Amino acid sequence: MGRKMKDVLAKSIIYLATGITLCVLLFIVGFIFVKGISLVNWDFLTRDYNEKVFYAFVQEEVVPMTIDAASLSQKDPYDKRYESSLEGPIYIENIGAAVSKVAYKNNATEKEQFVFSYIEKDSPLLSATDSTGKKLSIGTDYILESINGTDFEGLSLEDVAAQINHETGELKIKVVQPGGGVRSNIITTLYMVLVSLLIALPLGIFGAIYLTEYAKPGRLVNIIRFAAECLAGIPSIIFGLFGMAFFVVALKFQISLLSGSLTVAIILLPVIIRSTEEALKTVPTAFREGSLALGATKLQTIFKVVLPCAVPGIATAVLLSIGRVVGESAALLFTAGTVAQIPGTLFSPGSTLTVQAYYVAKEEGNIELACAIGIVIIVIVIVLNILSRITSDKLNVFNKK
Amino acid sequence: MNKKIKFNTKNLDLYYGDFQALKSINLEIYEKEVTAFIGPSGCGKSTFLRCLNRMNDLIDSVKIEGEIIFEGQDINGDIDVINLRTRVGMVFQKPNPFPMSIYENIAYGPKCQGVKDKTQLDTLVKESLVKAALWEEVKDRLNKSALGLSGGQQQRLCIARAIAMQPEVILMDEPTSALDPIATAKIEDLMSKLKKDYTIIIVTHSMQQAGRISDKTAFFLMGEVVEFNETPVIFTNPADKRTEDYITGRFG
Ligand SMILES: Nc1ncnc2c1ncn2[C@@H]1O[C@H](COP(=O)(O)OP(=O)(O)O)[C@@H](O)[C@H]1O
Ligand SMILES: [Mg+2]
Repeated sequence: MGRKMKDVLAKSIIYLATGITLCVLLFIVGFIFVKGISLVNWDFLTRDYNEKVFYAFVQEEVVPMTIDAASLSQKDPYDKRYESSLEGPIYIENIGAAVSKVAYKNNATEKEQFVFSYIEKDSPLLSATDSTGKKLSIGTDYILESINGTDFEGLSLEDVAAQINHETGELKIKVVQPGGGVRSNIITTLYMVLVSLLIALPLGIFGAIYLTEYAKPGRLVNIIRFAAECLAGIPSIIFGLFGMAFFVVALKFQISLLSGSLTVAIILLPVIIRSTEEALKTVPTAFREGSLALGATKLQTIFKVVLPCAVPGIATAVLLSIGRVVGESAALLFTAGTVAQIPGTLFSPGSTLTVQAYYVAKEEGNIELACAIGIVIIVIVIVLNILSRITSDKLNVFNKK
Repeated sequence: MNKKIKFNTKNLDLYYGDFQALKSINLEIYEKEVTAFIGPSGCGKSTFLRCLNRMNDLIDSVKIEGEIIFEGQDINGDIDVINLRTRVGMVFQKPNPFPMSIYENIAYGPKCQGVKDKTQLDTLVKESLVKAALWEEVKDRLNKSALGLSGGQQQRLCIARAIAMQPEVILMDEPTSALDPIATAKIEDLMSKLKKDYTIIIVTHSMQQAGRISDKTAFFLMGEVVEFNETPVIFTNPADKRTEDYITGRFG
C-alpha cells in the first residue's frame, strides 16, 4: 500500500470518528427534543406533578354567556396528551362556565371525567375561596368531581349541567387541579443548587486558600490533593450510599433537601478546590508582594487582592458545580428522595428534575415525560451557564479599564 | 555634612539554601539621600534590597546571618514586620498596580492600617498623587482602573502608593527598567524631588542613571560590596580595580 493510500485512510478514519461523535450528540439532543417538546408548555412548567384535590366555595350567580355557541365548541383546553373529548361543552349559567366530558387516559386505565372548558370573565368561579376564606384559582381544564356532596361519577353531561344549575346559594365544589407538571422539581433543583453551593463554596474556597497560600509544600499537601483527586473519581452512587448511611440515618436528617445538599456538596468540593487553586495560582506574585510591601497582613492580601483576582476562576468552579448539581441523580435518589414536592424546610424531601426524569421513566414508563423534563434540564443548564458567565465578566477585575 | 544613618548592616550574610547570595555586607545608608546599588545582574542587589523590608521572609529557603540596624534596632530580631514595611516602602521592577481603581490603589495601604475616614483618605490620595507628579494626569479618572494607565504612569502610581504610607525610606528595585526614556526621565526627576523628604535606595543596572540621581553608590559583585562611596568618587576615582573595570564597561 502506498504512502498516499495510508494517508487517505488515516484521514478518513479521523473524519469518520469526528462525524460519528457529532452525529451521536445531535441524535441524542434531537431525540430528546422530538420526544419531549410536545409536552413542554406553560402548564407543564407551572403545575405540580401530583394532582391537587380541593374544595372550592363559590357564590352562585347567573352569568350569561358572552360568546356564541360555535366558538364555545371550539374551546378544548383540556390536555390532549391524556384526554379525548366525549361530550360537550355545555354552558352552565349559574357558575358562568362551560363543562365538557372527556376521557382521561393514563397508561392502560381510562376514566371519564368532567372538566371546565370555558370560564366567563365575570364567573363566580374566579372569586372562589377555600373553607378559610383564602382565594383559590380555578382554571380551564380543572376537573370537576362533585357539587354540594353530589358525586358526578357515572352521570351524563346533561345531568351534571342540570345538577349544577339546580343548586343555589353558596356552592361547595370538589375540584381537581390536574398534575403532570414539573414546577416543584424545578424549584427543588434550584434549592439544591443554592444550598449545596452555600455549603461547598466557602469550604472549597477556604480549602484552596489553605493549600495555595498557607500550607508548606510537602507530604500533607500532597495527601490532601490526592484525597481530593480520589474524591473526584468516585462514582456518585457511592456518595449517595454514604449520604444515606451518614446524613439520613446516622445524623437523622431524614431524606431531605439538607441530606441531599450535603451529599452533593461533598461531590462538589474537589471541583471547587481544584478550580479555585488553579485560579489562585495564576494571580501574579507581584500583587502579593506589592500588597505585603505596603504593610498589609497576609490575610488582608488574600482577601483584598488575591481573591478578587481569582473571581473568574471561582466563577468557573461555580459553573461546573451548578452543572453537576443539576445533573446529579444517583446521589440524590437516596438522600433527597423522589417526592415531587417543593421542600418546605431543609428537612423535607423533594425530587430534582433529574431524579424526577428517572422516576417517571422507571416507575411509570413515561419516556415522553422524561424527555420533556430533559429539555427543561438542558434549558436550565444553558441559562445558568450564561448567567454565571455574565456575572463573572462583571466581577472580573482585569476587564475594567 | 552631618547626616543621620538610617540603615546599617553588620556582616550580613544571606543564603538561598546552600547558595550564599550575600557575603558579609557592611553598609551605611544615610537619611534623605539617594543611595544607588549598581553591579552586574545576579550579584545580589535585589536580594540585599529585599532584606531591608524583610521581603525575603516570603522565600522559605532564605537564611540570614548578621545584623541589619534600622533606627537603632535589628530588624531581623523580634520586630513588628508590618510596622517595618509601613516605614520602609518598596517599588518593584515591573509596575504592579492592583487591579482596582486608581483611588483604591492609593488608599489600599492606609485602609489596611485601619484608616476609614473618607476625607482623610481623600486628602491622602490627592497628596500622594501630587507628590508622585501624577495628580494632573489622573485627577479626572480616579475611579477608573489603574490597569488602564501607561507603564510610566503605573510606576508613578506605585510610587504614590508607597508615599501614601508616609514611609521614611523608599526602596526601588530597577524602577525604570521596564519604561521608555521619557517615562524614565519623569521618574528620575521625581526621585530628586522626593529625596528632600525620604531616604531613597535604588537598584539600577544603568550607571548613567546612578550617576545622575544618586548621592552615594555601592558597587556589588558576586554577593559582595566591592566599593561604597560618594557617587562622584565612584565614577571618577574608584579605589578598586574591579569597580573601575565595571564603570568603564570592561565587563558586566
Ligand atoms: N528565590 C531565590 N532562590 C534561590 N536563589 C536566588 C533566588 N533569588 C535570587 N537568587 C540568586 O541570588 C543571586 C542574586 O540574585 P539577585 O539579588 O536577584 O541579583 P540582582 O538583583 O543583583 O540581579 C543570583 O545568583 C540568583 O540566582
Ligand atoms: Mg535584581
